[in-house]
Amino acid sequence: MSHDDHHSVVIPAPGPEFKPHTVAHHFDTPVQEFQSAKLGFWLFLATEILLFGGLFAAYFYFHEQYPETFVVGGKQLDWRLGGLNTCVLLLSSWTMAMGVRAAQTSQKKKLLMYCGLTVLGAAIFMVIKFFEYKAKSDHGLFVFSEMLGGYDTATGQLPWFTDIHGVMAGVPHGHMFFAIYVTMTGIHGLHVIIGAGLIIWIMFGAAKGRFHAGYYLPVDLVGLYWHLVDLIWIFLFPLLYLVP
Amino acid sequence: MFTTLIQDPPAAATPQGPDYATGIATETDKWGQLTKLASTFDDVDGLFYFTYVVCIFFFVLITGALLYSVVRYRRKTYDQPAASNVTHNTPLEVIWTVIPLLIVMVMFAWGFKGSLDMTYVPSDARQYKATASQWNWLFHYPNDPAKSRNELWVEIGKPAEFLLESTDVLHAFFLPSQRVKRDIVPGRYQSVWFTPTELGEFHLFCAEYCGLDHSKMYAKMHVVTAEEYADRPWDTFDDSTPEAAIKSGESIYQSACYSCHSVDGSKLTGPSWKGLFEKSGDQIVGAKREVIAGGATQTVTVDFDYIKESIHDPEAKKAVGYENANMTPFKDLNDRQIKAVIAYMKTLAQ
Amino acid sequence: MTTQVPPVETATPGVETERKTYLNVTKGFMSWAGTLDHKRIGLMYLIGTSAALLAGGLFALLVRLHLWEPTGMLFDNAEYNQVFTLHGVFMVFLFVIPAIPAALGNMILPLQLGAIDVALPRLNLLSFYLWVTGAIFAILAIVAGGFDTGWTFYTPYSLYTQQAVGLIGMGVFILGFSSIFTGLNFIVTVHKLRAPGLTWFRMPLFIWALYATSILQVLATPVLGITVLLVAIERLYHIGIFDPRLGGDAVLFEHFFWFYSHPAVYIMVLPAFGIISELVTVHSRKPLFGYKLIAFSSLAIAIISFLVWGHHMFTSGQSTYAMFAFSFLTFFVAIPTAIKEFSWVATVWKGSIALNSPMLYTLAFLIIFAIGGLTGVILGALNVDIHLHDTYFVVAHFHYVMMGSIALAFFAGLHHWWPKMFGVMYNETHAKISCALIFIGFNATFIPQFIMGSRGMPRRYATYVPDYEPYHKASTIGAMVLGVGVAFMVYYLVVSLLQKKRAMENQWGGVTLEWETPTPPPLENFSKPPVVTNEVYDYSKLDLETTITPAK
Ligand code: HEA
Ligand code: HEA
Ligand code: HEC
Ligand code: CUA
Ligand SMILES: [Cu+2]
Repeated sequence: MSHDDHHSVVIPAPGPEFKPHTVAHHFDTPVQEFQSAKLGFWLFLATEILLFGGLFAAYFYFHEQYPETFVVGGKQLDWRLGGLNTCVLLLSSWTMAMGVRAAQTSQKKKLLMYCGLTVLGAAIFMVIKFFEYKAKSDHGLFVFSEMLGGYDTATGQLPWFTDIHGVMAGVPHGHMFFAIYVTMTGIHGLHVIIGAGLIIWIMFGAAKGRFHAGYYLPVDLVGLYWHLVDLIWIFLFPLLYLVP
Repeated sequence: MFTTLIQDPPAAATPQGPDYATGIATETDKWGQLTKLASTFDDVDGLFYFTYVVCIFFFVLITGALLYSVVRYRRKTYDQPAASNVTHNTPLEVIWTVIPLLIVMVMFAWGFKGSLDMTYVPSDARQYKATASQWNWLFHYPNDPAKSRNELWVEIGKPAEFLLESTDVLHAFFLPSQRVKRDIVPGRYQSVWFTPTELGEFHLFCAEYCGLDHSKMYAKMHVVTAEEYADRPWDTFDDSTPEAAIKSGESIYQSACYSCHSVDGSKLTGPSWKGLFEKSGDQIVGAKREVIAGGATQTVTVDFDYIKESIHDPEAKKAVGYENANMTPFKDLNDRQIKAVIAYMKTLAQ
Repeated sequence: MTTQVPPVETATPGVETERKTYLNVTKGFMSWAGTLDHKRIGLMYLIGTSAALLAGGLFALLVRLHLWEPTGMLFDNAEYNQVFTLHGVFMVFLFVIPAIPAALGNMILPLQLGAIDVALPRLNLLSFYLWVTGAIFAILAIVAGGFDTGWTFYTPYSLYTQQAVGLIGMGVFILGFSSIFTGLNFIVTVHKLRAPGLTWFRMPLFIWALYATSILQVLATPVLGITVLLVAIERLYHIGIFDPRLGGDAVLFEHFFWFYSHPAVYIMVLPAFGIISELVTVHSRKPLFGYKLIAFSSLAIAIISFLVWGHHMFTSGQSTYAMFAFSFLTFFVAIPTAIKEFSWVATVWKGSIALNSPMLYTLAFLIIFAIGGLTGVILGALNVDIHLHDTYFVVAHFHYVMMGSIALAFFAGLHHWWPKMFGVMYNETHAKISCALIFIGFNATFIPQFIMGSRGMPRRYATYVPDYEPYHKASTIGAMVLGVGVAFMVYYLVVSLLQKKRAMENQWGGVTLEWETPTPPPLENFSKPPVVTNEVYDYSKLDLETTITPAK
């Protein structure tokens, strides 16, 4: 008895433009496969939340330590741009949900279209973020602006934090707000890019007809990931742009 | 059991190691137990020995039960079944949940009370300050400009409180004989207090890892009588005669500089002091040194100003070959003390 | 040259055809490197983690040799600091955390569940390669100049030191994800792939233990990930979060680190508990005493362990409330563990005790763990810990639990499942000798450390006050005996693979599912899907014949 003919459940394709799906040999039923992957993915999302949890803990800790720094720092951020980005992400979450729906109903073209729109949303988000970062960089407030800069013990001068317009001059440790802002939104931005990459990967599969009513697991999971990315931003936005 | 082994005389002070106190921190009574040296003794050691007895009790119980079973119920034929097949016994299980619970609650309450007592500083405590830097200690005495490095004097029976401060990384102030320890966190002020109850010399260790010479970050604490304390034994500096100045310089070297500078030409973290001054005829003159200042190499002649700058602002001119090594600035050394150090350096000239 | 062979049977009488097992179905490098089979991945993990143990052990022996003299024998301070850091990092991140779950767990968990594989085999392979990548980063960090921060990476020192902290930080980050993925995989497997009839309370306790471990891996490890990431960003760009010079807070780092690293000690020890639960019943041939309580106590430990991290920071100046809570909960976590310990002893009581090498290791575990755990309880007492913190007493405590308990449980499991994994038996006499050497050597190494620690010998010291010399000398001698014991174990295990002395079908008379398949198992684990009808550990159903039938 060989490994492969152990179980070979095949889900037929609903139409000629789709491909059948073979359930992995160690699962008995497609439902078991679906549920396993989904449970695994939820656990993974939990680790992502905890990863950001560490950053949020640092945020709250330093907010407590240097409240004025966070008030003044928060004013430097443009809440209109942040708000716009929030809208963009919310919309893209909606398009992603529609994409999943399209996959579940075997609508290949719609799936491709909605995925495309979601990637577009991600791109707009990153472009807006780029302009925000650029502005901070021009004002000497952007962590990554001075690559690998050393810190001068004697003068206490931080290479990336030159604060050209002196906006943070009156508060203690003015760099702290921007350090946290850039680290949090930077790691979030990385997630946006990874999410967009995954959606593009889904689009390739969709074009080949891999996803249909019988099998749409990867679309579902990437959709969940995208909602998480959105959700984290929903927390970041008020904390960084509004609360202070 | 090992107590008879530890009576060896302490190693003499050597250039490689600090001048250690005699081994009194581990002095034991005839039971092999530590002797009472501090006011915090009863709490800490009392609880320690209580838990120790509890441990021994459970250890004997568990080992005994296992040994007995192994001997009594050993499998002799391959098909021998178990003598009993019970899978639970509720009263027993309740007992072995509740008894440990009670025991640990006693330990908890005792330990918590002990630690609260440690936070209430007596109102008559004398306030010292201890500054930890990589890798030495500086002690400040109340209302006294004289400070001592890596050596500390306190008065017997008098509560002593230490404000702790770090100039660089984490350190920890640890006096095993007094059962006190406190981390020293840069940017935070911490304090610790104790009342010494026994005369003698005691170890003061740095107990938090702080890099290269963590293990050499050692100070000796002298517990002395009120009369001796009144003599301000920490103020040993004397430059009334050239010989006294050399001795004072050497003692500064022994207390703060030996860990990075050798006096025999060998290379440690910093350049050796041998060769800083040279004999020329019967004159002793400063040698020429290559240094890097502001990125450019230049040659300087060793003199008072150069040495002073090297001590107060080591980054300003860095000796060639040691560009990547850092020296802690010793800003509290005053001109007279630096002159004494130089007097000592000059004795190394050839 | 042509020979005329009759085209009937390929097998000549006396030479049996080799049965196809997971070890020999396919051959060649790629059939291993690209395998999705949980047993092969487990085996690769076993080789990797054992190598880490030997490397870490070698560093340990160097540490001990160096400390023979008060002024140090082998290294200068800088080198010593690197060696003990390497020792800690290798042992913790490359050996103990993955060793039992990822090596033995991978191998045994699907078998005990009656499954063909873990739920997510590709993720399993990925997590192995992440482990390898992490190990490569560790080696790169050594090549790039080493690192000397201690395994705790405390800031600000770890931010200032001019060594390869960034590289090892990356390594730890990657190893963290390896660990997360293993845990995630196991949770899903336990939920979704149990054989028909295998209800939660019929699961072997090894599975319960791995399940509780996995929860910890998934929930605690991400915090370590973000912590080392922040340290790396801090070193490169100086964001200031952990740097007091820039308004950051070094104690915040300690909180972050221990929030992971305390649960991590239970990530290490729970699988060991699982092995011991399994072994005490099999080798006493008696159902486990208090099965449900043991199962639930694993979960209780997993939950409480998230709330005690502050006990590593009693001297760092926390508020009185924090001290109160952390100390209280620390004592509390000892209770479920005490329940386990007593239940094991009660299982051995009135059993049918086979004194073979896995059982010897198990008994050694029970004794050593009692000491290790109880000294942990001593450390949980607030004022006593203030004296003992960062001394060799702590060092001895955690070696009693990590080397004396976990590594010994790992050895116990290795000896127990060795015949299952390879179908061969090692030399039992050799195994008993080596177990005795390890037991004696271990205690001789660490009992002196308890004594000198309680008398104030600080840890991480390259040189020390001569008062402590006799203890250090005793400890070093013990370590050498221990080293000989471990080296001997490696020797006879390797020899057993070469000699191929057949093991029995069911070497020890176990009744869990892994013994119901041929030894060693075929690639697909079971020839027909198993159905469970018995209660767990029901030895009345044991077919004794299989224990004296040689494996095919
Ligand atoms: C796998 C590893 C492991 C395990 C299982 C444990 C288990 C425990 N540990 Fe340990 N610990 C470490 C690994 C581990 N530890 C490490 C690595 C460090 C140092 C890290 C560093 O600084 O580098 C450390 C440090 C450490 C400290 C900090 C010391 C300091 O730095 O100052 C403390 C303090 O509370 C502590 C407590 C405990 C307790 C209460 C348990 C309990 O879980 C133990 C429970 C077990 C028992 C209680 C024994 C069995 C029960 C009986 C025999 C019945 C009778 C029981 C009673 C009456 C209570 N540990
Ligand atoms: C699982 C974890 C684990 C294990 C198993 C061990 C095992 C051992 N450890 Fe470990 N140790 C730690 C985890 C562990 N340690 C940690 C986390 C630290 C703290 C680090 C820090 O402070 O940052 C530490 C610190 C530490 C110190 C304190 C250093 C200091 O503070 O200055 C000492 C000192 O004696 C020590 C000794 C030993 C010894 C003798 C063993 C022995 O049990 C080892 C036995 C194994 C062997 C002897 C292997 C045999 C190998 C051979 C014979 C060579 C064969 C080689 C090849 C084939 C290549 N360890
Ligand atoms: C932490 C290690 C360390 C300690 C402790 C230390 N030094 Fe240094 N020292 C160095 C290093 C490294 C250099 C070379 C780099 C430089 O010039 O800054 C140096 C350079 C010097 C120089 C210049 C020498 C030359 O060759 O040009 C003098 C003078 C000096 N130290 C004096 C002292 C005195 C006095 C003390 C004690 C009070 C002391 N040092 C303690 C590390 C140390
Ligand atoms: Cu200072 Cu260790
Ligand atoms: Cu802990």
